Amino acid sequence: MNRREVLLSGVALSLAGTHAFAQAGKEILIGCIWPLTGPTAQIGADARHALETAVDIVNNSHDLDLPTAKNAGLAGLGGAKIKLVFADHQGDPQKGRAEAERLITQDKVVAICGAFHSSVSATVSASCERYGVPYIAADSSSPSLHRRGLKFFFRPAAHDEMFSLAMFEFMDALKKKGKKIDTVGLFFEDTIFGTDSSNVQRKLAADRGYKVAVDIKYRASSPSLTAEVQQIKSANPDVLLPSSYTTDTILLMKTMDELGYKPNNILAQAAGFSDKATFDAVGDKLNGMISRASFSLDLAAKRPSVGKVNEMFKARANRDLNDNTSRQLTCILVLADAIDRAKSTDGEKIRAALAATDTPGEKTIMPWKRIKFTPEGQNDDADPVLLQYLGGKFVTVYPAQAAIAEPKWPMNG
Amino acid sequence: MTQSSAAASSMSAFVASRRRQLITAFVVFALIALVPRLVTDVYMMNVLILTLLFAALSQSWNLLGGYCGQVSLGHALYFGIGAYATSILYVKFGITPWGGLLAGGIIAALIALALGYPCFRLKGHYFSIATIVIAEIGLLLFHNWDYAGAALGIQWPFTPDSWWTLQFARDKAPYFYFALGLFAVTWLVTFSIVESKWGYWWRAVKDSADAAESLGVTIFHSKMAAAAISAFFTAVGGGFYAAFVSYIDPDSVMHFRFSLLMALPAVLGGVGSLWGPAIGALILIPLAELTRSYLGGAGSGLDLVIYGGLIMIVSLTRPEGILSMIKPAVKREATA
Amino acid sequence: MTTQAFLQVIASGLLLGLIYALIAVGLSLIFGLMDVVNFAHGEFLMLAMYATFGLVLATTLDPVVLMPLVVALMFVLGVSVYAGIIRYAMRAKANPGMVQIFATFGLALLIQGLAQYFFTPDYRNIANTWLGGKTLNLGGVFLPWPQIFGGAVSLAVFAGLYWLITRTDFGKALEATREDQGAVALVGIDRNRVFALGWGLGAALVGIAGAVLAIFYYIHPQVGGTFALIAYVTVALGGFGSIFGALVAGVIVGLVEALTTLILPASLKSVGVYSLYLLVLFVRPSGLFGRL
Repeated sequence: MNRREVLLSGVALSLAGTHAFAQAGKEILIGCIWPLTGPTAQIGADARHALETAVDIVNNSHDLDLPTAKNAGLAGLGGAKIKLVFADHQGDPQKGRAEAERLITQDKVVAICGAFHSSVSATVSASCERYGVPYIAADSSSPSLHRRGLKFFFRPAAHDEMFSLAMFEFMDALKKKGKKIDTVGLFFEDTIFGTDSSNVQRKLAADRGYKVAVDIKYRASSPSLTAEVQQIKSANPDVLLPSSYTTDTILLMKTMDELGYKPNNILAQAAGFSDKATFDAVGDKLNGMISRASFSLDLAAKRPSVGKVNEMFKARANRDLNDNTSRQLTCILVLADAIDRAKSTDGEKIRAALAATDTPGEKTIMPWKRIKFTPEGQNDDADPVLLQYLGGKFVTVYPAQAAIAEPKWPMNG
Repeated sequence: MTQSSAAASSMSAFVASRRRQLITAFVVFALIALVPRLVTDVYMMNVLILTLLFAALSQSWNLLGGYCGQVSLGHALYFGIGAYATSILYVKFGITPWGGLLAGGIIAALIALALGYPCFRLKGHYFSIATIVIAEIGLLLFHNWDYAGAALGIQWPFTPDSWWTLQFARDKAPYFYFALGLFAVTWLVTFSIVESKWGYWWRAVKDSADAAESLGVTIFHSKMAAAAISAFFTAVGGGFYAAFVSYIDPDSVMHFRFSLLMALPAVLGGVGSLWGPAIGALILIPLAELTRSYLGGAGSGLDLVIYGGLIMIVSLTRPEGILSMIKPAVKREATA
Repeated sequence: MTTQAFLQVIASGLLLGLIYALIAVGLSLIFGLMDVVNFAHGEFLMLAMYATFGLVLATTLDPVVLMPLVVALMFVLGVSVYAGIIRYAMRAKANPGMVQIFATFGLALLIQGLAQYFFTPDYRNIANTWLGGKTLNLGGVFLPWPQIFGGAVSLAVFAGLYWLITRTDFGKALEATREDQGAVALVGIDRNRVFALGWGLGAALVGIAGAVLAIFYYIHPQVGGTFALIAYVTVALGGFGSIFGALVAGVIVGLVEALTTLILPASLKSVGVYSLYLLVLFVRPSGLFGRL
């Protein structure tokens, strides 16, 4: 048994050896940990396109007003190119951690990005901290992640509290304009995303005087949501605040339609409500829906780079950038910029460069004020936007500085 | 040769065989203990720790599933209970994980006794599906239990390396020794029970239903004991897993896949045999980890094809388990 | 809650229950015939949904029209799985029960991996069907036509099965084989053929369910898991091998699941079904209509 284990580990090591050898040269390796198989494999498939688009931007010369885009490779490291190493965590925190340790110790990645699931980000970032390798949470939005005092954790995008806060400020603004918004309905799935999101929303609703007319926690990937929708229909809140992934979003909208229920307004926590698959399936039922987002294609009118990057992404993925893919793409750009400035692949130096990041919003594809990290590694200036889905397109309706139209309210009015 | 001397010589042959097995086992454990000196790669250590852990878990499962023939597909419940008991006691009350391991094990054993009472009346697939359903109820309850963190789970705080808190930042060797220790203990427990009167009864039940009828109540009690012991060690494994990963949530410790991962090694290696679970784990866990790591990165699903295909082929071509292929004598000896 | 809302929950639960029964009956049939639980049943369902989706894309015909074709394909799949895998699993001398569980579980993983490889993990959806999105309004109680259709198909299938088993030679052979596998060989029934046809029929039945589901449910490589556990619970609740039991149990599961949401949080609605299932099992260890 002992001999077998040794033999086995030898095989694995030589496997790993050839792996690393093939990637030698002047390449800087970045680990990318996403769910590539399992129920959320679609997220990983999209992420791959987004991340590879970002690599294209960094490694080749593009006329884009983004850091590291103009010249080929990283100027700070003699034109070195970046290369991504993908790993699959299947939504399991243990597997995510094992993959992080593999990427760090075997592939010698200089930094890691991930991971969609906040639970996986929690273990991956802990391992990165222990090995002194920066971790960028691209699309994990649980607020708890940046509150653990980690030195090597960075999140350029907003977390759930910021997203929900924007939604309630938007409702406050509408209320001031005389719209009737007294009751809200919470509808959220029972994993970490839905729980985090609804906890914040419940608190904000209480603080700001909105009555929670219905508060439904449902099991993700249910065969049916009829009974749940019936409860929403009976309560008929002025605004429905759903936090759902794609499959449940499709089912929710179909079921509402089947039960003849047209919600007054939907103000969604992105996820399923920003996925192309949802709009392909039930887009006609979502007309007038508003979703929070980290990204707005409308910005292309003001910033040419947004449109160009979107075209590059579309050529690969056959869909527009959305809430998730824009954040994934941006995380590589943020990281590449930091490595470029650090002029080193040393974890501590890249960390210092990341901590010193101060990129104005105009030099990103995001509708943010800027990218600047707090000591906790959170970018507090990642202003969320609210997009309304009208006539098959997203229109930015909030905040004022990014909005290009007044919201249609109520959506089914 | 008289009757009594024949009995005496077979008795001494039996004792000699037992001793031989025990010595073999200690040699194997000692050799495994040397592995951390040879393997320094963190990733490989991680794979080996999981292999030992699942060898231990599958060994525990084997007591109930293999020897008693009660195919439980719900051991994730006990695994999760161990993980939660250890995490809650440590994170919320500052009690050392060692205490949590013990507490989790005892709670799991009690629950196994409470569930065993109605469940052992169920036969075959009815029993298996009932265990799946019970574990699924547990998963749903933990998903909705706010005190235990519900879906947010429980994060272990960052602390300096220590055996007292079972936290080691980069060093994997301590976890390796713990997992090895757990495996050795479950092996020894199995070894001593199998040749006790309980072991004889269980085999009698598996071989002949009539024998089971005549033994009646006694069998029932011995099965209950097997369920409790099996649940105890499964929970200890769960508590260790929580300390090892330093983060748990319902899906990452109580998911159905853990139930399967505890049964599969025993089935593939050789059900109801002393070394079957270890052999099964030694093949299954590295296979799952390596296919994911070196093929899964492509996201094509091919890793699942290989993993699933292999499980299928092995269980079809080697119904007695891989062990029977490697060394036919081992199984006979173990169950003789 | 108004009476109307209550009736809505009941009606929806009933329709869904009929569809659960349809999903489960193939599993029950195979079990009754040869004591094998197919752990790849959910994956069969997923394949049937993809088959429907693919045929709709290829032919631009309506899923309802394509149903017989899907059923035929699934029949072939069922027979092939029997001939290629199950036949060997049944021959296992040692612990055949476990061999069957893990052979079919391995098959399930294999099918999932292949589905992801060939179909990608994208969420698929069949747009513009005759029935899709249409709803019948009965005095404020809304019944979606796809589900009404599914419920009707389910009832028709159960009627057909009843006829098949009680009135045809194949049904008699099936019945004889499940009664006594050894004796049938003596009267000239080829056991292997009956088993192969049984697997074909079981897969064809889940094919019908898949074709119905594809009209109103999204399709992706993991979709089988959503329905698989419910199917196992339905079969065990009704009693393994009991066709009538599957129907009754399916309806009970659908209704209990819907009604549980009136008492417990929606995220716990399966707990109602599972608890009922355990209760029944503890009173009747072979399910409602299973043979002891």
